[in-house]
Parts: sequence; C-alpha cells; structure tokens
Amino acid sequence: MIKCVIWDLDNTLLDGVYLESPGEPPAPNAELTAVLHELAGRGILQAVASRNPPEACRYAARALDHAFAAAQCGWGAKPAAITAITTELGLTEDEVAFVDDDPLERAEVSFSLPDVLVLAPGDVRQAAAWPLFSPPVVTAEARRRGELYLQRRARQEEAQAFGGSRDEFLLHSRTSVTIGAAGTGDLARLHELSVRTHQFNSTGTPFPEAGFAGLLDSAAHRVVTVRLSDRFGDDGLVGACIVATVPGETGWQVPLMMMSCRALGRGVIDALLTWICRTARAAGAARVTLPCVINPRNVPLRIALTGAGFRTTSQAGTGEVAEYVRDLSQPVAELPSWVVS
Amino acid sequence: MSADQDELTGELRRLLAELTGHRLALTAPLDTALLRDGIGLDSLGGTVLLTEIERRYGVDIAAEDLNLDALASIGTLAAYLARRGEPRSRPPAPAPDSEGGPA
Repeated sequence: MIKCVIWDLDNTLLDGVYLESPGEPPAPNAELTAVLHELAGRGILQAVASRNPPEACRYAARALDHAFAAAQCGWGAKPAAITAITTELGLTEDEVAFVDDDPLERAEVSFSLPDVLVLAPGDVRQAAAWPLFSPPVVTAEARRRGELYLQRRARQEEAQAFGGSRDEFLLHSRTSVTIGAAGTGDLARLHELSVRTHQFNSTGTPFPEAGFAGLLDSAAHRVVTVRLSDRFGDDGLVGACIVATVPGETGWQVPLMMMSCRALGRGVIDALLTWICRTARAAGAARVTLPCVINPRNVPLRIALTGAGFRTTSQAGTGEVAEYVRDLSQPVAELPSWVVS
Repeated sequence: MSADQDELTGELRRLLAELTGHRLALTAPLDTALLRDGIGLDSLGGTVLLTEIERRYGVDIAAEDLNLDALASIGTLAAYLARRGEPRSRPPAPAPDSEGGPA
C-alpha cells in the first residue's frame, strides 16, 4: 500500500521551471493538482523532492493549497532526498511512490531504491486508480495525517532545541496519554491500525473489525486503546492491544499489540507496556506473555519489550513467533505522571 | 580490555551521544543502561543504533539475539561486537577492478 507520494516540482507539479521564471513562478499543473488532492483525501501523504531552493516548496504549497508532510529541497540526489523523507515519516521504500518528469531522475531512483514505485507524470492519473493507492479504510485520523506530520515536524524541531532529557521534554510538551477500554466507535480505527502499523505490531497481520467487535463483550478479553495528545496537536487513537485473561490462570496474555509510528519516540509504547504489567500485577497475575512475530520491521517493538523487561527463550527465525514473557515478581517501573488510565 | 575494544567503545559512545543528543554517553560508566533510564535510548534511537551497527560492522544484532541482550549497556554492546565482529572486523579486500582504472 502506498502511504506517501513524493513529487518533483519543475515540469511536474509546476507547469514550468521555478528558477527560470523569477518574476512569475509557474502555475501548478491542473491535472496533477487534482490527483494530489484526491490522494490526500484518501489519507495518502504528499511530499516534495525538488532541486530547488526551499522557497520553491513554500510557493508550491501555497499555489496548490496543500501543506506537504515533508519537503526536501536542495541540490542533492533524488534517492538521498527520498531516503530522508521516508526516515522522517517512518515509512519503508515500498510504501512510497515517486513522480518526476525527468527520465534520468526516475532511472536513478529505480536503480538506487528498487522498492520505490517510480512514475512519470503522465501515468499518475491512471495509477491513482490502482488498489495500491486505495486504502480499504479511510478514517478521520487517516485524512488528517498530513496535518499530524506537520505537527510532528514542529515537535521534532523544538525537541532538538530543548536542552533537557526526553522525559523533561515530554512533560514540557504537555504530553497526555490516555489508556482506556475500546468502544464501538473505535472499531474502524483499530482495524486500520492493524493494517497500517508495522514497526510496533506484534502479529504483522491485519485484524478484522468484526474480530475486535467480538472481543468488546468478551469477559475473558479487554481491548485497550491508547490516545495521545500534546500542545502541538491531538494524534487521537494511536495504539491498542488485546489482553486475554483466563480464570484460574496466573498469567495475562497479550495476543496483539500495535502502535502507530506517529507515537515513535514519545514514550507511548513504554507507557503502555508499563501499564499492562502494573495492571496485571494488581489483578494478581504472575506474568505477562506477549507472542511477537520476528521480522526486520518490528525491531522497535522488540527494543521496547527488552526495555520493559520482557524475555524470550525462543529461537524463532524470521517470520516465526517468539513468546516474550515478563516475570511480574521483578520490579515494574512507575507509570509516568502524564499517563491517565 | 584490548586496544581494539577501547577504540570500539569510543566509537559506540560517540554514536550514542549523536543519537541521544546528550554528552552523557561519552563519559557514563560502561555498565550504564542504554534503554529507558541511563543513556535514555528509546525504541526509535535503538532502531537507528542497530541499523547503524549493521552498516558499520556487518552485525545484525536484531536477527541474532531475540532478547537484544547486547543493548543492556555500553559495555555489553562493545563486548558483543568485539566478540561477534572479530571474523568480519576487517573490511573485505576490494574486488579487482575489472575496468583497470588508476590504482
């Protein structure tokens, strides 16, 4: 699924060359502008990679009336610009499409980043109809995604300028994490998270809306949601997990754990793991068991598990499931003051 | 500790200071924890660290060790790489240049 389209400006989004028309910059290309807005409406991020000064991006954003989620303007190679954008947005190469009128630029990107979908401007309208560009579920959160990434950029810039520790910055940003029970209004977003999350996803497989719905009334299960906001913006429902308890058993199971990469670096996954351990211990559980598929993409989740004291004796290989266990007789961290549950 | 491992530890300290944006990693005791309290590496920083280690030393810690024990502290990480990286610590000899370019 394509999560981000990265556009060239000169003779692509703009009908002309920015630097060759200093008096009156070139107008946006009408057809591509329409496609861009259509794709943004489906929750697909829009970004710019252009060999131009940064003001060209600002001009394009105004002229197209769209705030880009990321912009790389400069004289570097396009593959490096694309890598910078995917890193900033937490995406993988196969989740981005690149549109450029210059066949040489397209060839360079295809060669260096073979998983990126490379398109000529003339092919974009048709490509937009491909299933790759049609996410099955588009929630309000997904539609607001571009805006949320802009908030993220503002947050990152301020975090870099801030001198204190990460925890101090989270407090300073008035970070608020709310952990609670899922309701029927959350089902579409829960399914969407199961499809779209990779870096913090313990199963790596989509979980159907009906599956979540069926668990809401189950006495043996809890569907736990995590909402995140700070003074830069409200990210809404960013993560969830399923907790399963069996009467008479002294352990809790977590068959699914997932978190949006939007929450990456903001202490949220650590807070959720701490909350699970503390809640399980308070309920008399001796341990928490979390099966986690081993793949190169969910390494951030495994790092969080290690940090939270989970261990595995498994020798699982890639694509196999390892059972991570937290022994609750070992000390559990305090819940940060900015977590409400 | 060998001179090689000293050098490796220094490199890792500089990398950690870069990733966390704090000088703490340059001088903290070897047994300082990397994750959470301690150096303050989070899952994002940890992921970038593992990617950079794979690029620099050719060691894919995430694939080799499901518990990521190497990430316990600066010392365990340096020891893991020193032990694991030995056979591949020298870069492979460059392939002969078939174009016969300048030496």
